[in-house]
Amino acid sequence: MQITIDHKNIEVLNGETILEAARRYGIEIPSMCYAQNAEHKSSCMVCAVRNMANGQIIPSCTTLPVDGMQIESETEEIKQIRTLSFELLLSDHRADCEAPCSLVCPHGLDVEHMLYFYDHQKYKEACQVIKGAFPLPEIKCDQCKAPCEKACRRGNIDEPVSIRKIIKELVNQFNIAEINPIENRKIDKKMFQSRLGRFNDKERQHLKEHVNTDSRCLHCACAGKSDCKLRTYATQKSIKRPKYDVSSELPVMNKVLVTGKLWFEQAKCIRCGLCVYNSKNGFTFKDRGFVMQVYIPEENRMNVNEELATLCPTGALYLENNPASASTGNK
Amino acid sequence: MSRCQCDNNSKVNKEELIATMDAIIERVGTSKDVIIPLLQEIQDEFSYLPSEALERIYERTEIDRAQLISVSTFYSQFRHIPYGKHLIKVCTGTACHVKGATNVYDSFKRELKMEGDSITTDDQLFSIEKVACLGCCTLAPVVQIDDKIYGHVLPGKVNEVIEEFIEEQSSEEKKASAKKHHKVAGEIRLGMGSCCQASGSSDIYNELQRTSNELGIEVDIKSVGCVGVCNKVPLIDVVSEDGSIKRYPNVKASEIKEILHYHFKPAGYFTRLKNSLINRVDTYHTDLTWDNVIWKPENERTGLIDSFLASQKHISTEGFGYLAPLDLNEYRKHEGFDGLQKVLTDANPKQLVEDILNSGLRGRGGGGFPTGKKWEIVAASDKTDKYVICNGDEGDPGAFMDRMILESYPFRVIEGMVIAGYAVGANRGVFYIRAEYPLAVKRIQRALELCREQNLIGSNILGSDFSFDISIFEGAGAFVCGEETALIASIEGDRGFPKQRPPYPAVSGLHACPTLVNNVETLSQISYVIRNGVNTYNQIGTENSKGTKVFALAGKIKNGGLIEVPMGISLNQIIEEIGGGVEKDEKLKAVQIGGPSGGCIPANLCDVKVDFDAFNQMGAMMGSGGLVVLSEKDCMVDMARYFLTFTSEQSCGKCTFCRVGTKRMLDILDKLCSGKAQMEDIDKLEELAINVKRSSLCGLGKTAPNPVLTTLKYFREEYEEHVQGICKTGTCKDMIEFEVTEDCIGCTKCAKACPVDAIPYEPYKVHHIDTELCVKCGLCIDECSYDAIIKVKKEDKKNG
Repeated sequence: MQITIDHKNIEVLNGETILEAARRYGIEIPSMCYAQNAEHKSSCMVCAVRNMANGQIIPSCTTLPVDGMQIESETEEIKQIRTLSFELLLSDHRADCEAPCSLVCPHGLDVEHMLYFYDHQKYKEACQVIKGAFPLPEIKCDQCKAPCEKACRRGNIDEPVSIRKIIKELVNQFNIAEINPIENRKIDKKMFQSRLGRFNDKERQHLKEHVNTDSRCLHCACAGKSDCKLRTYATQKSIKRPKYDVSSELPVMNKVLVTGKLWFEQAKCIRCGLCVYNSKNGFTFKDRGFVMQVYIPEENRMNVNEELATLCPTGALYLENNPASASTGNK
Repeated sequence: MSRCQCDNNSKVNKEELIATMDAIIERVGTSKDVIIPLLQEIQDEFSYLPSEALERIYERTEIDRAQLISVSTFYSQFRHIPYGKHLIKVCTGTACHVKGATNVYDSFKRELKMEGDSITTDDQLFSIEKVACLGCCTLAPVVQIDDKIYGHVLPGKVNEVIEEFIEEQSSEEKKASAKKHHKVAGEIRLGMGSCCQASGSSDIYNELQRTSNELGIEVDIKSVGCVGVCNKVPLIDVVSEDGSIKRYPNVKASEIKEILHYHFKPAGYFTRLKNSLINRVDTYHTDLTWDNVIWKPENERTGLIDSFLASQKHISTEGFGYLAPLDLNEYRKHEGFDGLQKVLTDANPKQLVEDILNSGLRGRGGGGFPTGKKWEIVAASDKTDKYVICNGDEGDPGAFMDRMILESYPFRVIEGMVIAGYAVGANRGVFYIRAEYPLAVKRIQRALELCREQNLIGSNILGSDFSFDISIFEGAGAFVCGEETALIASIEGDRGFPKQRPPYPAVSGLHACPTLVNNVETLSQISYVIRNGVNTYNQIGTENSKGTKVFALAGKIKNGGLIEVPMGISLNQIIEEIGGGVEKDEKLKAVQIGGPSGGCIPANLCDVKVDFDAFNQMGAMMGSGGLVVLSEKDCMVDMARYFLTFTSEQSCGKCTFCRVGTKRMLDILDKLCSGKAQMEDIDKLEELAINVKRSSLCGLGKTAPNPVLTTLKYFREEYEEHVQGICKTGTCKDMIEFEVTEDCIGCTKCAKACPVDAIPYEPYKVHHIDTELCVKCGLCIDECSYDAIIKVKKEDKKNG
């Protein structure tokens, strides 16, 4: 079957969608709710293309072409629609890509990563992270004005995490000379940064009661960011700050251990439903409209497997041992 | 919705619950696709969905937890928490909205002391909820408490309504026990059902009781259902000896005595009728059993009705005024099922499809897709199993014509469906009717039984080799299910997510079979086309819109009601000739047509003819046929916000543009209506609206921006005024304050009326309003005889 995409002739294989055919020819169309060889239904509309015959905007990830179809993919109109769909998804995404503390450290210390080890009682590793950023033993934290503590989201709830105190404590605990530094992950400031924004009173109260890590760190950084499509595309589209006022009905920072090492953080979900369609009596949709959520009842947790994390286009579903970052949850 | 008979507070015995559940499951079935009927039965039984009951479903059926949560939280009919004993439904349909439904809702909450998000009183006596439309648009604002409908409920009357309801409750309980002993002589039915309960009806009701007692006439006074001519209420029917019915529209309390005298002679005379009547009367106890009514026009009293009817043409509502909804023989006497007979005799389904194509009939559900085209596609398939679905999921706030057609002309819709089935070669039909329309469901149910008895449905219909049977599916409360693929998903036991088309249902629909989905009104036009021929039908209407259209005419109009007009009539004609002009002689500002999918047509363009394409060109849409008249006192930005509130709640949530896009549009409209918006927000809104329209996946999202786009197109200056903090109509509460002028004589009426004591009681002094306390309900303005309370622009607190 022959179709054209942006006037380029494309031979479509049997059963192939427009998106699949396009990709085979190296035409890049973004997609979020689509996953190869998995059940999916189009919802996100970031793969929008235009059917020139009738002018309709269609999702390329599920549309099976008909012979002779003419498709537009790289026009200004389509680019605008795709960007707008990202903007809309981001406006419902109350989450941080990076922890504010790590973002602001003048020495590039991945503070949140360090605190992850600290909260898991892996003090040596925590110290290794510190050494990766600071020329120890002459600690500079004493002279530092600690923007990390000022940026700390915990400060929004009660008191910021005492980052400097923790660093001092760790450094004093070990013979620094014997510590092998772990090279610090450099935060790419060119990447899109999603920001959680301010907590409301209810959230403040909830987090205060439920986050009881040793350091009191909320672990804002996204544990699933390394393969987050939302962030990658937002960066590609040069989206800097949200176009629409960000609001969401989903509970922020509510991290739930689903099964094994699989964690679920609802606030990062774009409701594509991949985890719903690809689990049996596991994940499900709840409610409708803007407040519709993807939800897993406690009784269904054993019905899902860890592989779902690879389907999730964002950091909503992630595996804990993701080396790039850390997570600590509340149940 | 039938209500729970048990006391919510009493603990349901676990074993009993399981036994009840097992009986329900036994009755309904265990497969995945019966989930909606199953949940409906459970809710009928317990008044909500108790979690223990749901556990039993997991144990005994194929339905699992994921499916159940998915479905039960999608449809608004289902409740997961017990409600109070009585349920107050405040209608927030379009007509009620423009007449202040929000104030009414707030007043109820205030009077019943429901704080914050609470919707049930502490004593569990009342629960309250907003409903999209009760279909009594001409009596706006409307409130329903259990089965009783109260029309023209102003915020200040809320207290009275509650008191009246409680009083009636207790007197009814007494009456119910007394009734067992006393013998009933006759019956008077008062139009107080779904859409006839006027403000005056309760007065008439009281007067009837008082007078019948005084005269010593023992009659049953019954509330009955919709009578169609909403602007002619109060309306009473008197049941006579021979079972015929005498109708009195626009009755006044002072006339009751005369009527009673006329019909009910001294008790002695009546005794011989008693035995013959008692049996009848037993069947008339609620409006749900309001059957076998003979509709008789009362010409001597109906002058106004005549002018109301003059410009109308009855095709869907043919037989208006004389046809009994459930009298099959009478329907057949008036050419009913002649169309079907003809079709079966001709035995040429191909020609039939051709005829419908040539008739120019277009789908009445909203889009206006050529009906014949749909038939053609389904007919073309060589699959043996095909379905015809009648789409009766009318969900527009402000539209109730499908309900009226189903309730009043059930046979006509059935006939249309059977003919459609024959034309496309289907063997099964499904009526999809909203559960909010219990009377329609009941009527169709009974009508189907009657048809089956006379072999009009079933095997070998009328001796032919054509077999076709019809079942009913009750929708569970989701506007999106009016979209055909979502409708099919819900019959299959899923949440109402629309599917991507193609494949169209006509190719692969219900259970993957070719499925013809036609709207109620569309099907009700079929038999006329067949009986009178394509050319006769063709004559009616415009070039590309043929036949008639039924509208629910409401809003700021003198004579509202249900009307059926030929296509091509202008909106002005409808408003002036049929509706009698704008209420209170205010100036016409716009006509909102097509509900949340349609748009606002400004007054200067109201010479537009009723025509699918003409409306589309203006950015509006025929929609399903709500026609709400707006006057100069209505705010267009608020109107847009109202519809977006509705669509964003009703969005299924699947695709980004509809789920998030409509919400972000609503955010901006909220900002505009509270005076916090900037000029650039208007452009942002417009950009978003255009993109939601073109990029949403289904009809709901694609049409949701219409109310915004049309108001932006025709009333942009109003948006700009809102940015400057001005709402000229005073509708947007955040932008106005109430103020007492020097005209005040200090009569204290307003102070007494104020529900929040924001006006201190200071006789003979010019009153003042504490703006901190004021909730801007407008009661004081209604009360004041000197027009001394005005709405003024709120002081600029934008940056504060």
